[in-house]
Amino acid sequence: MAKAKLDRSAFMLPAGHHLHSVQRIALIVGIVAAGLTAFGAMSNPVQFFRSYLVAYLYCLALGLGSLGILLLHHVVGGRWGSILRKFLEAGSRTLPMLALAFVPLLFGMHELYEWSHADAVAHDPVIAHKSLYLNSTFFTVRAAVYFLVWITLATLASRWSAAQEEGGGPAVNKRLEFLGRGGTILYAGTMTFAAIDWVMSIDVHWFSHIYGLIFVAGQVLTAMAFMVVVASSFAGRAPFERIMCADRFHDLGKLMLAFIMVWAYFALSQYLIIWSGNLPEETPWYISRLSGGWEHFGSALIIFHFVLPFVVLLSRDVKRNPRSLALVACALLVFRYMDLYWLVVPSFSPGVFTLHWLDFSAMAALGGLWIALFVQQIKGHTLLPLGDPMLAPELAEGAES
Amino acid sequence: MDKHSAPGPQEPNAMIGPGHSFNSVTDKISSIVLREGAPRGWWIGFGIGFVLTNMMLVSLIYLFARGTGIWGVNIPVGWGFAIINFVWWIGIGHAGTLISAILLLLRQEWRTSINRFAEAMTLFAVACAGIFPVIHTGRPWLAYWLFPYPNTMGLWPNFRSPLIWDVFAVSTYASVSLLFWYVGLIPDMATLRDRTVKIIPKRIYGVLSLGWRGSVRHWHRYETAYLLLAGLSTPLVVSVHTIVSFDFAVSITPGWHATIFPPYFVAGAVFAGFAMVLTIAIPLRRVYELQDFVTAQHLDYMARVMLATGLIVGYGYLTEAFMAWYSANPYETFMMSNRMTGPYAPVYWLLITCNILSIQALWFEKVRATPIGLFIVAMFVNVGMWLERFIIVATSLHRDFLPSSWAMYAGTVWDWSLFIGTLGFFVSLLFLFIRFLPMISIFEMKTMVPEAEVREDLL
Repeated sequence: MAKAKLDRSAFMLPAGHHLHSVQRIALIVGIVAAGLTAFGAMSNPVQFFRSYLVAYLYCLALGLGSLGILLLHHVVGGRWGSILRKFLEAGSRTLPMLALAFVPLLFGMHELYEWSHADAVAHDPVIAHKSLYLNSTFFTVRAAVYFLVWITLATLASRWSAAQEEGGGPAVNKRLEFLGRGGTILYAGTMTFAAIDWVMSIDVHWFSHIYGLIFVAGQVLTAMAFMVVVASSFAGRAPFERIMCADRFHDLGKLMLAFIMVWAYFALSQYLIIWSGNLPEETPWYISRLSGGWEHFGSALIIFHFVLPFVVLLSRDVKRNPRSLALVACALLVFRYMDLYWLVVPSFSPGVFTLHWLDFSAMAALGGLWIALFVQQIKGHTLLPLGDPMLAPELAEGAES
Repeated sequence: MDKHSAPGPQEPNAMIGPGHSFNSVTDKISSIVLREGAPRGWWIGFGIGFVLTNMMLVSLIYLFARGTGIWGVNIPVGWGFAIINFVWWIGIGHAGTLISAILLLLRQEWRTSINRFAEAMTLFAVACAGIFPVIHTGRPWLAYWLFPYPNTMGLWPNFRSPLIWDVFAVSTYASVSLLFWYVGLIPDMATLRDRTVKIIPKRIYGVLSLGWRGSVRHWHRYETAYLLLAGLSTPLVVSVHTIVSFDFAVSITPGWHATIFPPYFVAGAVFAGFAMVLTIAIPLRRVYELQDFVTAQHLDYMARVMLATGLIVGYGYLTEAFMAWYSANPYETFMMSNRMTGPYAPVYWLLITCNILSIQALWFEKVRATPIGLFIVAMFVNVGMWLERFIIVATSLHRDFLPSSWAMYAGTVWDWSLFIGTLGFFVSLLFLFIRFLPMISIFEMKTMVPEAEVREDLL
C-alpha cells in the first residue's frame, strides 16, 4: 500500500467543535440526574429498577448497536461504514462501562423478575419448568458471558483498526473481515438470549420466537440514528467535506430507512401471527399493551416509528441533506425510547398507563453519562479510519486541502 | 462490495475475463443463440426434460381423472407434497429477483452476468410452483373462484386467509418478474434482430424488441423504467415468502405457529434460490465456456450469500428448538422431540446435515474456489430445503393434538411422478431459454469491459 503518511492531527476532533460542549453539558446533566435517581432509588426501589431497566436497555442499544453495525460493516464493506467506523468503534468501547452499569440490575432481580422468587417456582409448574434456564445463578453467568463476548469483540475491533492505521497491510484487513463474520453471528446469537433473559422473562409465561431479532433490529436502528447525528456535525467541515459528502448521507439515509422497515417487518410479523393464533398464552402480552392508555402508545409507534419516517426518508433531498437527515434521526431516537418503554413497562403495569419522574431521571442520568463517555472515546482517536483502503483516495485529497 | 479483498494486481477486473472488448462480448453471447443447430449436449438435456415433462402431463391427467385420492394426503396429513413442492419451487425463484432487483439497487456489479438466467429461473420456478396449489384445490377448472369477483353465488374468498393473500402475492410476483425479465431483454433482442440473417427469427426478434434502435432517448427512458421495476420487485422478494410463511404461522398447529417464520422463510427462500442458481451456473459456464463472464469471483460471492442466508436459517432452527422447550407448552415440546427422535427423525437429521453442516464448508476459500465442491454443496442445499418443508408439513400434522388420529404420511408414486415431472418441466424450459434467448445480458456485460469505463479526465 503505497501511500504517504497522513497527518493524524488534521483528523482529530477540532478544538472548537461543539461535541466538547455537548460532553460538558451531558456530564453535568448525567451527574445531577444520577443524584436525583439515587434519591429516588432509596424512596422507591421498585420503580427505580423498572425505570433503570428501560434507560439501561436504551444506552445498551447505543453501545451494542454500534458494535453490531461495525461488525456488519467489516463483513459487507462500503464507504457508508468507513465514514462511521471511528464513531462506531468509540460507541462499542463504552461496553465495559455498560457492563458495570448492568450490576445494579443484578440487585434488582427480585423486583423485576417473578421467576427469581422461590415460592413462584414452587407454585407455578411453568416457572418450575423454566427454572432450569431462568435462575439467578445461570442468569448472572449468562450475563457475564454476553459481556465478555461483546467486550472482546469491541476491543479486538478497535485494536486491529489501530493496527490498520499504523500501516498493518492486508493481513490486518483480513483479520478485521474475519472478526466481522464471526462477530456478527456472535452478536445476533448472544443478543437474542440477552433479550429473552432481561426483558422477555419479565412476562415469564409469554414467549415469542422473533423477540430477539426485534431487539437486534431496534439496537441497530438506535445506533444508526445516533451515528447519523454525530456524523452530520462534521459535514461541510474541512478536512471532512469531501468524505462526509451528500452521497454518503444519501447512503446512510437509505440504510436508516432499511432498518426502519426491518423493525416494522419484525414487529408486524409478531403481531399478526399472535393476533391470528389468538391463544390464551400469547395474546395477554398484547392485551396489556393495547389497553388502558397503552394503545395510544402503540398507535403512536406505528405512525412515528414507521409511517412518518418511512415517507420522509423516501425523499432524496432529505437524505442528501445532513441537517434534515439528522433531524429525522433525532426524532427516531425519541421514538426508539418509546418503543423500548412500550416493550418493557406494560409488563409491570398491564393495561394501566404509567409514567414516573424516575423514568426521566434514570434516562437522563445514564444517557448523559453515556454521551460524555462516548465523546471521551472519540477524543483520543482520529475521526476517520486513516488506514481504510476504501477511503484512501479521498483521505489523500482531504489532507491536501 | 468486499473492500478488504479489493482486486489485487493479478486480477485487475475479476467480473470479466481479460482481453474482452464490446465486440467479443456480443459475439460470444449471441453466437450461442444464433449458431446453426444445437450441440448434442443440449439435445440430451432437453430430451430428458421433455420426457419428464410428459410424465408430469400424464400425472396431471390421471389426477384430473381420478381426483386427489391418488396422492398420499389424508387426514390428519391433509397437506402433503403439493404444499411442500409449492413452497420449494417458489423459494427457488427468490434468488432471481434478489439478484436482479436488490443487487441492482445496491449497485453490486457482480449481478450483471448472472441476472438474466437467474430471472429466467425465477419465472420457470414460479410456473412450476403455481401448478401445485391449483391442482390441490381438487377442481382446478374452478380455480378462478380464488379471485374476488362479484358473482351470482354471492361468494367471496376469505380475506383473512393467507392462502388468498398467496393468490395475490404470487400472481403479482409472477407478472412483475416476467415484466422485469422482458424489459431487460429488449436491447438484447434488438442485437439478435440485427445479427441474425434468417428472415423468420429476424421478424420474431424484431417484434419482441419493440422497435428498439438504441437512441439516447431510448436508453434514458429504459434505464428509468428498469430502475423503477427494480424498486417494485424489491418488496416482492420479501412479501411472497412472508405470506407463504403465514400460510403456516397464522394457524395454531405446534411447529407452524412461530413468530420467527416470516424472516426465517425469506432467508430460506434466498438460500434455496442461490443453491439453484449455482446448480445451473456451474455446468452452464463449463459447457458453453463462459468462465470469462461467470467468473470465479461470481461463484465466490454467490457462495457467500448462500452461507449467510444458510446461517440465518440455522438461527431459525435453533430458535424453534429452544422456544419449543422454553414455551413449556406440552404440544410444542412434544412436536420438537417427535421431530428429533420420532419416526421422521432420520429425515430431520438429514435436513440438518444438508442445510447446516454441509454449508460450513463454504467458510473455506478453497471450497468456494472449486466449482465442483460448490456444486456438491449446492445440491445438498437443494435437497435439504425440500426436506425442510417436508419436515415442517409432515411432522406437525401427523401427530397433532389428538393421539387417536395419529398417522404416518408418505408420497405415493403419483406424488413423486408429479414432483419429478415438474423438475423436467423446469429443465426443458431452461434449455429452451438457453437456445433461443441470450442467457447473459449482452448490453450489461459490455459495461464491464475496460473500454466502457468513464474517464472523467476526458470529459
